[in-house]
Amino acid sequence: MSTTATHAHDDHHDHAPKGIWRWLNSTNHKDIGTMYLWFSVLSALVGGGLSFLIRLELGEPGIQVFNVVGEMMGSEAKQFYNVTVTAHALLMVFFVVMPALIGGFGNWMVPMMIGAPDMAFPRMNNISFWLMPPALILLVLSAFMGKGAGTGWTLYPPLSGLAGQPDMSVDFAILSLHLAGASSILGATNFITTILNMRAPGMTMHKAPLFVWATLITAVLLLLAMPVLAGALTMLLFDRNFGTAFFDPAGGGDPILWQHLFWFFGHPEVYIMILPAFGIVSHIVSTFSRKPVFGYLGMAYAMASIGIVGFIVWAHHMYTVGMGVNYRAYFVAVTMAIAVPTGIKIFSWIATMWGGSISFKTPMVWSIGFIFLFTVGGVTGVVLANAGMDIVMHDTYYVVAHFHYVLSLGAIFAIFAAFYYWFDKMTGKVYPEWAGQLHFWTTFVGVNVLFFPQHFLGLAGMPRRYIDYPDIFAEWNMVSTWGAYITMASTVFFLIVTLFVMIGGRKSVANPWGDGATTLEWTVDSPAPFHTFEDTPDFTGGNPAAHPAE
Amino acid sequence: MSSRSDFARRNRRTAATAFVVVTGMVGLTFAFVPLYTLICQVTGLGGTPQVADRSDYEVSTQEITVRFDSNVDRGLPWDFVPNERSVTVNLGAEYQTSYRSTNLSDEPVTGISTFNVTPIKAAQYFSKIECFCFVEQALKPGQSVDMPVTFFVDPAILEDELANDVQTITLSYTFYRTLDDIPDKEPEFISQADTVLTTAQLGGT
Repeated sequence: MSTTATHAHDDHHDHAPKGIWRWLNSTNHKDIGTMYLWFSVLSALVGGGLSFLIRLELGEPGIQVFNVVGEMMGSEAKQFYNVTVTAHALLMVFFVVMPALIGGFGNWMVPMMIGAPDMAFPRMNNISFWLMPPALILLVLSAFMGKGAGTGWTLYPPLSGLAGQPDMSVDFAILSLHLAGASSILGATNFITTILNMRAPGMTMHKAPLFVWATLITAVLLLLAMPVLAGALTMLLFDRNFGTAFFDPAGGGDPILWQHLFWFFGHPEVYIMILPAFGIVSHIVSTFSRKPVFGYLGMAYAMASIGIVGFIVWAHHMYTVGMGVNYRAYFVAVTMAIAVPTGIKIFSWIATMWGGSISFKTPMVWSIGFIFLFTVGGVTGVVLANAGMDIVMHDTYYVVAHFHYVLSLGAIFAIFAAFYYWFDKMTGKVYPEWAGQLHFWTTFVGVNVLFFPQHFLGLAGMPRRYIDYPDIFAEWNMVSTWGAYITMASTVFFLIVTLFVMIGGRKSVANPWGDGATTLEWTVDSPAPFHTFEDTPDFTGGNPAAHPAE
Repeated sequence: MSSRSDFARRNRRTAATAFVVVTGMVGLTFAFVPLYTLICQVTGLGGTPQVADRSDYEVSTQEITVRFDSNVDRGLPWDFVPNERSVTVNLGAEYQTSYRSTNLSDEPVTGISTFNVTPIKAAQYFSKIECFCFVEQALKPGQSVDMPVTFFVDPAILEDELANDVQTITLSYTFYRTLDDIPDKEPEFISQADTVLTTAQLGGT
């Protein structure tokens, strides 16, 4: 964490440690970022595989997949279907999206973007990452213990209590989330310290790149929301094992208390998953329009206000608990208010493109895909924000379609956009343009065929979290499962091409994207050297990366 | 540019602030448990009725119907029913009714009840003076008792433009076996793992 170039080993510029210890003991932000990304890919394979099982089961009425799978796992079909839904959700939220966007791209790019040599606390960064594999192992074990944790990711009591799930599987899931939460809190502390204290001289917060802003706000949200989840999970653990009654009415508790605590964490959590994506998309749209981002300050403060308002809207997830009409009116109003800063972001991205010299390279098409699909998910979100509508649509496939449009098609599209944008910088290889385009178009078609029909199913009244459905829902479920086949084929194609490119791809250059790429990471070589910015860049005379050599 | 030690101190201070925030949020989470109960009692959130010593109000000529509802948790071997299904009372007037509990098992059992009123917006105007639900109730094997509850409806409900359309208030109780009274079932729970409930059986979440 030296800021001067006098330190002895800094002279050996690219002297990375060798072998397994390079990774186990790593304090290098790029290596830790790389590990987070591989970890996310591994979890995505498991979490995506589970969702494919769910779609196979729902492809036609009746129970045809989970009777076999459930038996293999020592459970039974309906319970194991619930276990699969739960594991899919927890994997995607805590072990795919967060590690990729925050741990992966955040670790890789934030220090370089602010001209810092590394994160503020490199050893704490190491423990942040290495808490994640044990958390993942505990979560996977929870599916093998007893009948598995079939609670849904929301873990509502009494289903998550001893009355609903008496064996130890839920305890494994709780401890897994405790570890993942500790990892997030340590990571968030590290990002906040790095961003507040280690920016290059002259880079005021109002000159910091938007991805840095996004990561800072995300880290603050993590710091405020994660401890609430940790506290609530601890209460649930005590209710299950030590005879307390926080959520048990027989002992004076209240299951609704859990819902308040969970969603006080859970709603900021959805912004934790999408804010880094906002930052990434801003950079990509600006780069490939060859224009600075439109309304930079508005973009930064829109993210900040989304973060703040995100803490006072939680009860819109629980309109059906029996809430007074005044409370519902309040939560409807503040929820809809979030559409305002979100709209500022969408329109600013469009205004950035407007009149720009646009090149539709792979990262750009993924970003435009993100903007389009996130807007669709945002519109259904405004529909669901209305308490009157929500009471009809609550826990139907309309809700499932809504949050997959903002997360599965929003956050995941941003992850792919970032992957293609920074692939050269991270690996030093050129990703073939045709493969990225083909991957985009097949995924775009696949996920829309997969999720758009779920709006119709939800409006027709199909409830979520059931293994089976009446025959009247058969057609659109069949279409939805076709979408899963297309998406799966597209993902396999992506994995194969990526492996080939990483082994034998063409060598890339420091800045493959030209004048539009004006952040500091494009001033260093590709792949980025093991140590960067030991000589702190100077921002006092303006952005030194604004006029790159190439 | 600041020296290295200044720099390290500044980083440590920022990180320490962050950990104070985390500790504070954990503390707030646990503080929310009693706070939540208090909020419910004060505001009537979730249909929590008020508690009063006596009715200080003039008895209004306006009448309102109060219905009585009862539920028993499946872990409690009791029969529990209201002695009257509904009454029509004047606003501000105290009224006493009762529920009848019978212990159907051959062992002494202690129960405790939770309660709320619907419509939820009427809860802040529904006051209980005396209620069996304030304390635990113990019944001997086969014993049957009448449990009284005294209440009144605050005439201020007429002045609340959001609540003055209420014609009928339902007072509902659910009786549970107290946690201390539940026989030690630890070994049984593990052997009962085969009867795990699915989401569908619990009505979905």
